[in-house]
Amino acid sequence: MHTDARSLSRRRLLASVAAVPILAATADFFSASGRSISGQVPWSPFAGAPPRPVNPLGWYFFTPGEAAAVEAIVDRLIPADHLTPGGKDCGCAVFIDRQLAGSFGQANSLYTKAPFAVGLPIQGYQGDLTPAGRYRLGLRALADYTHGAYKKDFVQLSPAEQDAVLNGLDTGKIVLKLKPGFSTREFFELVLQNTMEGFFADPLYGGNRGMASWKMLGFPGARYDYRDHIDKHNVRYPRDPVSIYGEA
Amino acid sequence: MRCFILAALLIATPAFAANEAGKYQSVLGDCEGCHGRNLAGGVALATPFGKLVTPNITPDVATGIGTWSQEDFRKAMKQGMGKGGKPLYPAMPYVNYALMPDADVAALWTYIRTVKPVRNSVDVNQLKFPFNLRFLMRGWNLLFFKPAPFANDASKNAAWNRGEYLVEGPAHCGACHSPRNFFGADKGGLSGASLQGWWAPDLTGDGRAGLGAWSNDELVQYLQTGRNAHSLASGPMAEAVENSTSRMTDSDLNAIAVYLKDLPPGPGNGGGATGAEAQMQAGARIYQVSCAACHGGDGKGSAIFPPLAGNPIVTQSSPETLARVVLAGAKGAATVKSPTGPAMPSFAWRWNDEQVAAVLTYIRNNWRNVAPAVSADTVTKIRTSLHSAS
Repeated sequence: MHTDARSLSRRRLLASVAAVPILAATADFFSASGRSISGQVPWSPFAGAPPRPVNPLGWYFFTPGEAAAVEAIVDRLIPADHLTPGGKDCGCAVFIDRQLAGSFGQANSLYTKAPFAVGLPIQGYQGDLTPAGRYRLGLRALADYTHGAYKKDFVQLSPAEQDAVLNGLDTGKIVLKLKPGFSTREFFELVLQNTMEGFFADPLYGGNRGMASWKMLGFPGARYDYRDHIDKHNVRYPRDPVSIYGEA
Repeated sequence: MRCFILAALLIATPAFAANEAGKYQSVLGDCEGCHGRNLAGGVALATPFGKLVTPNITPDVATGIGTWSQEDFRKAMKQGMGKGGKPLYPAMPYVNYALMPDADVAALWTYIRTVKPVRNSVDVNQLKFPFNLRFLMRGWNLLFFKPAPFANDASKNAAWNRGEYLVEGPAHCGACHSPRNFFGADKGGLSGASLQGWWAPDLTGDGRAGLGAWSNDELVQYLQTGRNAHSLASGPMAEAVENSTSRMTDSDLNAIAVYLKDLPPGPGNGGGATGAEAQMQAGARIYQVSCAACHGGDGKGSAIFPPLAGNPIVTQSSPETLARVVLAGAKGAATVKSPTGPAMPSFAWRWNDEQVAAVLTYIRNNWRNVAPAVSADTVTKIRTSLHSAS
């Protein structure tokens, strides 16, 4: 048995070595060949890959009902106070909508085929739903729950009732009708995580309108020269933040 | 055998020296600037009268000047007449080259004959009607071309005279830096002019837009390296520095500096921006966000990035070069002594015309710079012409 395994691996090795030049020739294995530049660094006028800000209007993924629910949720997760406007006015729901409509929503960078084993908590979601699918399922289940408990949509609840529902989702006191492998708490964590991302990400992506969170923190954003301030310790940086698009 | 090599060297050296002398004449005249690194032409010059493409001046018989005689060449250089009496267009600076002594033109001919022949057929005359009618240049020459040998000014020293000869003669600085009349003839004065989408700056002693604040050494450093404490050459001047001035001798550069620094102040740039407080405030904010990181909050730049404070490019009467550099970006000169050639990125995507106008007005009137305000309309025109040209 040992001998078999060894001879098999040797055969495999030989086969794979033989495959390399074939791969190279057929599949453009080395197509990313180097470019040599001499003399001067190349330059051309109007060069650049400008960032493209998201369109702030309308909904790309959410239905009107879903959008209203998510706006209400983000406004409770980040309530308006003396530090910043609320999550809705900061554009967190728009941020989440654009992300779900894009490659994040489709889980383009993840392996999403079977088998769908139940993983450890540290491994994150292991099921067959994309993030977009999880939002769709979760928001429908949330609407079902609030209609069962309050005969209302989430957005129609009082702030105190909304807080109670969100608290229930977070602590496990409320269990939504989701799918095996996708717990209510996971749904809550997903929304909370994306809300924070929308609150702190560059305004380019639809959230953090007016760079509200950066102003609150004193984070200077996409500035890149601090020579005038590098030696001023324990002094708040005096300048307003700058976004990737250059707003200030 | 050793004697043979020695003899060969003795024969070869005068020929080598003559060739080097001719090559230096091509550096002074910046032949490569228009005819290309290999002198095979094909470089399009956008003139107000249409497109002129520079001819092939390599010794190729079919497409170059391989059939020309030395006399044909002398007439082209000094009289603006090509082989067979065909008048040249004055984009070829024969008005300037006419000042060159015959011996220098002969040396240049010797060198040109040794250049590698390149087969490159060029359709030179792509000018608009009626400028495409070559014979009209005979009339132009009668009006504007008064050939005369260079005359020393006895009241000035040798360096000044050499400087005047170089500036007005082979180096043909006025071809870009002097204003032109309605017929495209050089009006002299070196007080700055627009060409090919750039504004060639004022070279007079004017303190705001000219070279009034530059020392002779700083001027030499600029011509030699493409940069100094005040400015950094880009665009056509970067090419002129790379192909020509950086390869001139120290004494010739010093002569040019002596002559230019003696030019009286020109008409100036028209004074500072008045009633532009809103532009100044908006410009200051844009500057802080997008410019200060490289050019400094104090506008002094750094070892790599040129200063904006006291930089004549910033304070010209016309903001053409300045707006172009901000919109399209620019590439600085790279020379043996200053090889980096730093580049300015394009900000066309980031700022609208009003914002560009505001930041330009701000840098033109901050840190003791004084220059007229820039309007959004001006920026719109420059942006449109840059896009249609590229």
